[in-house]
Amino acid sequence: MRLTIWLHEARRAGPAALLAPPAALLLTAAIAMFIQLSGAGHERAERLLLAGLEAVAPLSVAMVALTIVVRETCRELHLSLPTLHLATIGRRLGVLGASTAACCLIYAAGAWLAGYRLGPGGAATLLVWAAPALWLAAFAALVAAVTRSAVLTSSLVALIWLAEQIWATVFVTPALRPLFLFFTSRVGDGPGWAANRIGLLAGGLVLLAATAAVLHRPERLLTEEDA
Amino acid sequence: MTALLAVARYEFRMQARKRSLWIAAVLLGGTLVVLQGDRGPRSLPVGTPAREVMATWALLFSILMPLAYGMLLADRLVRDRRLRVEPLLESLPVGPVARLGGKYLGGVAACGLPGLAALLVAAVTELPKRHDPALLGWALVAFAVVTLPGIAMVAGFALVCPTFLSVPLFRVLFVGYWFWGNMLAPAFLPSLTGTVLTPIGDYAATWLLGSGQTALFAGTPGLLPFLRPDPSGASAALSVAVIVLCGLIPMTAAALAAHRATRQTWPAKA
Amino acid sequence: MHIEIADLRRRFGRVTALDGVDLTVSGGMFGLLGTNGAGKTTLMRILAGVLPATSGRVVVGGNDLSTRGGRVAVQRRLGYLPQELGLYPDLTPTEFLDYVGLLKGLDDRAARRGQVGDLLDLVGLSDVAGRKLKGFSGGMRRRVGIAQALLGDPTLLIVDEPTVGLDPEERIRFRTLLSSLAGARTVLLSTHIVEDVAQTCRQTAVLAAGRVLFTGQVTDLTARAEGVTWEIVTAGSPPTDGVVVSAIARTDGTHYRVVSPRPPSPDAIPVSPSLEEGYVALMRSATPLPVG
Repeated sequence: MRLTIWLHEARRAGPAALLAPPAALLLTAAIAMFIQLSGAGHERAERLLLAGLEAVAPLSVAMVALTIVVRETCRELHLSLPTLHLATIGRRLGVLGASTAACCLIYAAGAWLAGYRLGPGGAATLLVWAAPALWLAAFAALVAAVTRSAVLTSSLVALIWLAEQIWATVFVTPALRPLFLFFTSRVGDGPGWAANRIGLLAGGLVLLAATAAVLHRPERLLTEEDA
Repeated sequence: MTALLAVARYEFRMQARKRSLWIAAVLLGGTLVVLQGDRGPRSLPVGTPAREVMATWALLFSILMPLAYGMLLADRLVRDRRLRVEPLLESLPVGPVARLGGKYLGGVAACGLPGLAALLVAAVTELPKRHDPALLGWALVAFAVVTLPGIAMVAGFALVCPTFLSVPLFRVLFVGYWFWGNMLAPAFLPSLTGTVLTPIGDYAATWLLGSGQTALFAGTPGLLPFLRPDPSGASAALSVAVIVLCGLIPMTAAALAAHRATRQTWPAKA
Repeated sequence: MHIEIADLRRRFGRVTALDGVDLTVSGGMFGLLGTNGAGKTTLMRILAGVLPATSGRVVVGGNDLSTRGGRVAVQRRLGYLPQELGLYPDLTPTEFLDYVGLLKGLDDRAARRGQVGDLLDLVGLSDVAGRKLKGFSGGMRRRVGIAQALLGDPTLLIVDEPTVGLDPEERIRFRTLLSSLAGARTVLLSTHIVEDVAQTCRQTAVLAAGRVLFTGQVTDLTARAEGVTWEIVTAGSPPTDGVVVSAIARTDGTHYRVVSPRPPSPDAIPVSPSLEEGYVALMRSATPLPVG
């Protein structure tokens, strides 16, 4: 039963949505290869590959996460069933997390085999993508649960992502550092990196808990259209 | 033509009434006002020409606000299918090309509304400090040459691309593209930043500044040098034209596909 | 399954959807009638545990719906067919029912598969069990809906406007199916089609503007129109006094059936009423017609 329900939820999360993270990573890898082959240098390609892992993958996970929370054609039926709707959404987000983890691990392993260094190496490399992905996806899920609007949520996710890219120097300051998603690609994996990653993971967990609290009243999600 | 305008008018009404468009625009615009720093328009000294002030405001708003327009328009065509209104629309005498064109024009107009409002509000807030009524006129000019062409390009891609990509994937690619193609320094990574193709309005803003310095990266050497002419009035006009035409490419492709689908469907149905 | 509703209220912002509903439902088939916007769907959603009440008390089979435990206990024994059932277009009926079965807690794979097959037989969809739902007609979609509601052999069945959009043959088939299911269950049928209640229910309630106007036997509702139902045969214009319930053109003129407290014309003859006329008489007595 366990496996069957997870397989069902993987289909409900939507193949098109689940393809977003690998597609975005593949595109990044392709551009990096193009840069390398066009003679722009190994270092630039490596920088782009790292940005793919730390910035593009979390962005795609967040965009899919908000879609999972906002879109459901059988919401009313789900709310009448004894299985908590929160559990259903949780499973779908879990499927998204698992598929993203698999993609990122393959991507990082492939890059390592090709001679690119993406982060500190070893198990810690997991945190290069896992910490920002958890934080941004949890933020997206929370805003989606509160606003029920894909437009508003995706705009806010895009705002956070771009603002941190454009005003990176502001986010590196100690006060905002626990919220900085791109520490590895902008600052490196030296001093402060581990604290930043732990801060993001902790923040992500808090955001997830807040999302669960909001979804505890799932009838809030009974809406036909975005506002 | 009447049908096209009718579709455009109602598309405009439907989108302009969406609270999420306005809330997102206020949040994105507000963030820019707060984070503009020393290089932002508020830091321009008193006596700076109105044209330069409003060009700086227009460029500032173009950094983030188009994200909201892209996110809004991303599911406008997909939505008709989801809400099951597509069969009804197909039964109407309005052809698919007029429907598509109307959606595009209505979408551009609706997204232009918060863009224009932001510039007019900026001009009004600058008035007490700069005492120059020309600010309002230059706000309109800046909207027409910096903001509107960018919206036209974003609208074209945001309406059409999600019909063959998934909406989430389009949103990811759009945000990534907006950063890579508009703001990422060409020296950092090969990018479209600084070319006449940048919908952020770099060339038009540089022309409006008229001070000899570039607004962002217009004309900076990099990938595809033939797309990086020296900033001038002519290159600004070229940039506006190219940006608008770029937005029409996906629309034309979608219109052709829709037209072909209709021609293929009718004999089969008859 | 016994249902007890006391002083139930539900507000959406400034709109009051249910305004102090008191209702008792015992077993069998129970019809809930009312105009569009009367509050039927809100009441069904509250009974299904989809929506919480603003205030009041709802006890279903001894379980208080205001508690999480009570809601889950009811949902374990509930089959619910919402008014607008969205289906996953990429699934086949078998896959859809399998998924809903899992969410209903039917963990035994073989038993679940067996039930899905039996229910598809019952609703006449076995032949298309492997086809994607996206190509299904409105009637077929409703049949998938009733099949999913019956998964897990529920003791309470709540069906909200189940026959809307069905052709006459399918409607009759659907009603018969619901009636046959009501033997060992409580079936709550919400509809604005009076004929559906007339053909299937012994007990009924009428909702209007969020309040219960009537509750009791179907025959008692019909009796509301005793002495106020008339037939007129005329070739001229339709009667203006009262509510015209039906008009059938025949060779001798148009036969009008009218609900009116007094004869709508000197030629009007009293006739024995139908449930529809009882419903009209009730609604008319609750909402005074404009004078003039």
